[in-house]
Amino acid sequence: MAIKNRESFLNNLAANLGRPRRKQGVERPTWSFNPQQEVLKGFTQDDLVDVLEKQCDVIHTTFKKTDLAGLNDTLKETIENYGNSIIASNDSRNEEYGIGDLLSVMKQNNPDMEVHFWDSSKDKENQTFAERADIGLTFSDITLAESATVTLFNDKDNGRSISLLPKTYIAIIPKSTVVPRITQATEKIHKANQRGEKTPSFVSFISGPSNSADIEMNLIVGVHGPTMATYILVDDM
Amino acid sequence: MKVSLFITCFCDLLAADVGKNTVELLEHVGCEVDFPEQQTCCGQPAFNSGYLQESKKAMKQMMKAFQYSKYVVGPSGSCVGMLKEYPKIFKDDPVWRDAAQDLADKSYEITQFLVDVLGITDVGSTFKGKVTYHPSCHMTRILGVREAPMKLLRNVKGIELIELPVKEDCCGFGGTFAVKEEALSTAMVEEKSRHVTETGAQYLVGGDMACLANIGGRMSREGKHVKIAHITEILNHH
Amino acid sequence: MSIKLGDTPYVERVQEGLHNDFMRQAVASAQGRFRSGKRKRAEELGNWEEWRSLGEEIRTHTLENIDYYLQQLSDQVAERGGNVYFAEIPEEANNYIRNVVKKKNGKKVAKTKSMVTEELGLNEALKKDDIDIVETDLGEWILQLDEDPPSHIVTPAIHKDKESIKRTFTEKRGYQKSDDPEELAAFAREQLRQEFLSADVGITGCNFAVAESGAITLVTNEGNAEMVTALPDTQITVMGMERLVPTWEEMEVLVSLLTRSAVGQNLTSYITAITGPRLEDEIDGPDDYHLVIVDNGRSNILGTEFQSALHCIRCAACINVCPVYRQVGGHAYGSIYPGPIGAVITPLLDGYEDHKELPYASSLCGACTEACPVKIPLHEQLIRHREIIVEREDLGSSSEKIAMQGYAQWASNPAAYKLSSKMARTALKPWTKGEKVTNGPGPLKGWTDTRDFPAPSKQSFRAWFKDRQKGGEV
Repeated sequence: MAIKNRESFLNNLAANLGRPRRKQGVERPTWSFNPQQEVLKGFTQDDLVDVLEKQCDVIHTTFKKTDLAGLNDTLKETIENYGNSIIASNDSRNEEYGIGDLLSVMKQNNPDMEVHFWDSSKDKENQTFAERADIGLTFSDITLAESATVTLFNDKDNGRSISLLPKTYIAIIPKSTVVPRITQATEKIHKANQRGEKTPSFVSFISGPSNSADIEMNLIVGVHGPTMATYILVDDM
Repeated sequence: MKVSLFITCFCDLLAADVGKNTVELLEHVGCEVDFPEQQTCCGQPAFNSGYLQESKKAMKQMMKAFQYSKYVVGPSGSCVGMLKEYPKIFKDDPVWRDAAQDLADKSYEITQFLVDVLGITDVGSTFKGKVTYHPSCHMTRILGVREAPMKLLRNVKGIELIELPVKEDCCGFGGTFAVKEEALSTAMVEEKSRHVTETGAQYLVGGDMACLANIGGRMSREGKHVKIAHITEILNHH
Repeated sequence: MSIKLGDTPYVERVQEGLHNDFMRQAVASAQGRFRSGKRKRAEELGNWEEWRSLGEEIRTHTLENIDYYLQQLSDQVAERGGNVYFAEIPEEANNYIRNVVKKKNGKKVAKTKSMVTEELGLNEALKKDDIDIVETDLGEWILQLDEDPPSHIVTPAIHKDKESIKRTFTEKRGYQKSDDPEELAAFAREQLRQEFLSADVGITGCNFAVAESGAITLVTNEGNAEMVTALPDTQITVMGMERLVPTWEEMEVLVSLLTRSAVGQNLTSYITAITGPRLEDEIDGPDDYHLVIVDNGRSNILGTEFQSALHCIRCAACINVCPVYRQVGGHAYGSIYPGPIGAVITPLLDGYEDHKELPYASSLCGACTEACPVKIPLHEQLIRHREIIVEREDLGSSSEKIAMQGYAQWASNPAAYKLSSKMARTALKPWTKGEKVTNGPGPLKGWTDTRDFPAPSKQSFRAWFKDRQKGGEV
C-alpha cells in the first residue's frame, strides 16, 4: 500500500530538531518511574474480583457472580430481562460454558426469541441483525479490575458490532481473565507484537454502557452504544 | 540567628505594617533582624510582562543588596518565589549565575522560614475572630508552601478558621494583569469576594499583601466589612 | 473552520464572555466537577506525581525521536494494507481526503470529534464537493446543527443550555419532545444511528497512534468512534503528527493520564484501537483504510523552547482549573484551542499577529502548570510568549515599554527607589480618601475603576525601622 510525502516530511522534522534523520537504532529508554505496575499489586484473584464488582457500580453496570453450574440460570434471567433477540460471538467457549445449549432451549420455549451467532459467511447480515437485536453477548478476553473493563480482541468470529449495536450488552467474564488494570492487557499485546504476532484489527476496551455528559454536564447513560450492560463473572478457577 | 528582611516593594511603599509585624515576629522567636537598605523590587512586574532585560536590572540590584545575608526572609510567597526563579533566569550568565543561586538558596517566605527552618509551628499568639485563609497562587504553586501557614494559624489561640470555598482559584491580582486585563481581573475578584462572604468570616488572611489588597479593595468597593490581615498580623497578635 | 475563530476583536470577545451568565455558571459548575473527579482519581493512585513524571518522560522521548516513530508507524500501517499520507499544510490534507471520498463516490461522511480536523477546516473543504458531513459526538453534533464553534476541547458544547439545544433540534430536525437531557440524547441516538448506518466514509481523529503496530487509539464515552470505525467501508484517520507513542505500553500510560485528567474516569467507556483495514473474513471495519498525518505548523515548534507544548494530550485539565477560562469561556480565546494550552499553542500554530492578546489572558497563577498530566510548564511558556511579543515581534504598546524602562531605572537605583518609598503617601495624597485611593491616576485607574487601592502607610517601614534602631535596643 502507499505511503506518500514521507521523506520530505520526516527530513524536515529531523532538520528542525537539528540532527540527522533517525531511521533506526532508537531504543525505548528504561523509564524512571513505573507507577502503573504498583496499582492493585499483590491482590489475589478474589481481591481483584471485589475491586471489579465495586467499580461496576461506578460505571452503571450490573454485576453478577456465579460458577459454571449456575451460569445457565444467571444468564437466562439476564437475557429475559433484556429482551428477545440476541446476537453472540462465535466463540469456542460457547460450548464449554453451555451457552449454545441454553440459547437453543430458550428459543424452543419462546417463539419470539431470535438467536444469531456471528457467522463470517453471512457478511453484512450480521450487522443488520445486530442493529435490531436487544442483546449482544460476548466473552471478555482480558478483564481489568480497576476500571471494570472488558477487553475484546475482535476477529472474524467476534465482530465488534456485537458489543456495539444492540440495545444492551452482556459480557461473560471468566474469573481467570481478571487482571489489575489495562497495564497487564497492553503488556500482553506488546509482547505478542514483539513475537511477530499480528495485532487484532480491532481491540476494544469497554467499560460499561455508553454515556455522555455533553448536555449541561448531565450524565446520560446510553448514547450511541448499548444503554445497559451486565457483567457475569464465572468462576472457572 | 541573623536574618535579613526582604520587605517587598509593595509593603515598602504601601503596607509598612506588614514589615513591622514581620520584624517583631522574627525577633519574638529569637532572630536578629537587619534590613539591607539597598533592596528594591524582585523584578517580577517586568519579568512577567515579558521585559526580561529590564527585569534583570532589578534582579541584579537585589543580588547585590543581599549578598552578605545569611537568611533572607520576606512576607510574600510571590516575591520570594520570584527570587527562587533567579537561577533559571541567570543560568547562562557566568557573572551572575552563582549570586542568583546563592540568593535563591537562602531566601524564605516568612511562614516557610518559621516552620521549615526554625521548626516552630506555634508562635504563642492569640487572635479572637472568625478567619478565612486565601492560599495565594505563587505561594502554593511556585514556592510550594501549602502547609506552613495553616500549621501556624491552627495554633493561634482563640482563632476560628473557616475554609474558603474554591480557595485554589486566583483572586485576579496577577501583577500588571490587574490593570492590563481589568475586566478579567475584576470578574475574578468579584467571584473571590463572593466566596469570602459565603464563609461569614470577619477577617480574610493571606500571605501575599498584593492579593489581599486586591480582594480587600474589591470588598471595600462593594461595601462589605471583611477586614484583610496579612498572616504576620495574626501571628504577631498577643 | 481553522484555528482562528471569526474576526471579533479580543476585547469584545472577553466582554461577550463576561456577559454570558448561563455560560459562566455552567463553566464554573463543570470546573467544580472536573476538578473533584480528577482529584479523587489522583488521590486513589497515591503517586500522581510519579505518573506525571512518567507521562512527561514518555512524551519527551517520543518527540525527540518523532521522525523515527512516524516512520515506524507508517511502515506498520502500510504493512497492514493501509495508506499513509503525510500532509504539511491543511490544503494537502484536505485535498487528499476529498480525493479519497470522491474515488469512493461517497455522499455521506460520519465523523468523530477531532481537533485536528477543525484546524484543517476539513468540513468546509468537503462541503465544496457537496458531501454531507455528520459530526457524531453528541456535543459536536449539537454545535454542527447550530453552526457554533466548540468552546472546550473535551466538552465542546459546554456553553449551551438545554433550552437552546431543544430549540436547535426542533428547528433543524423536527424534534418534538421536552428539554429533558435524557430525551434530547435519545433523539440524538435515534437520528445519528441512521447516519452511521448510511455513511460511506468514516473519519476519525486520533488520541494516540502506536508506532510499534500501527494501531490508532480512540477514547470516547459515547461509542460514536466505534460506530464510525465499524460500519463504513472506507475509513480515514487524521492525526496531528505528535499524537504518537512508541508501544502499547506507553499508550496505556497516556490513556490513563488522559481519562483521569479529562473527566475523572479510570478509563472512558470505550477505548478502541484500530489497526489498518479489516482482515480476511472480518465483516466489521473498513476494507479501505487511510491514515493522514498532519504537520500544520507543528514542526516549527520542534527544537524550540516551546517543544514541550507538543507534549499536550488534549485532556483539558489546564482549562478545567483556569480561573480566566472560568470567567470568559472558550470563545473569548478566538481560537479552536482555548484556555492555557490554547494561549500557548495558538500563537505558535497560527502566528502572533492575530493572537497577540492570548498570552496576556492569564494571571500567571500557575494552576495550569500544576494540573498538566505531562508537565508542560504552561505559565512559563506564556511569559516566554510575552517576551517574544515585546522583544522580537515588537507588538507591545509603547507606553508599556516606556513604563518598563522607567521601572528598570527605579528598581536598579536604590536612592531613587528609597525616595519613592518615602514620598509614596504624599504623591498619592490628591486621590486618597481616608486609608484608600478610590480614583487613582494613570495606570492605577485600571485598578480603582472597580476596586479601592490601599493608601500608603503614614509612617514608612524604613522610618520605623531606623527609629527603633536609634531607640537604642541593646
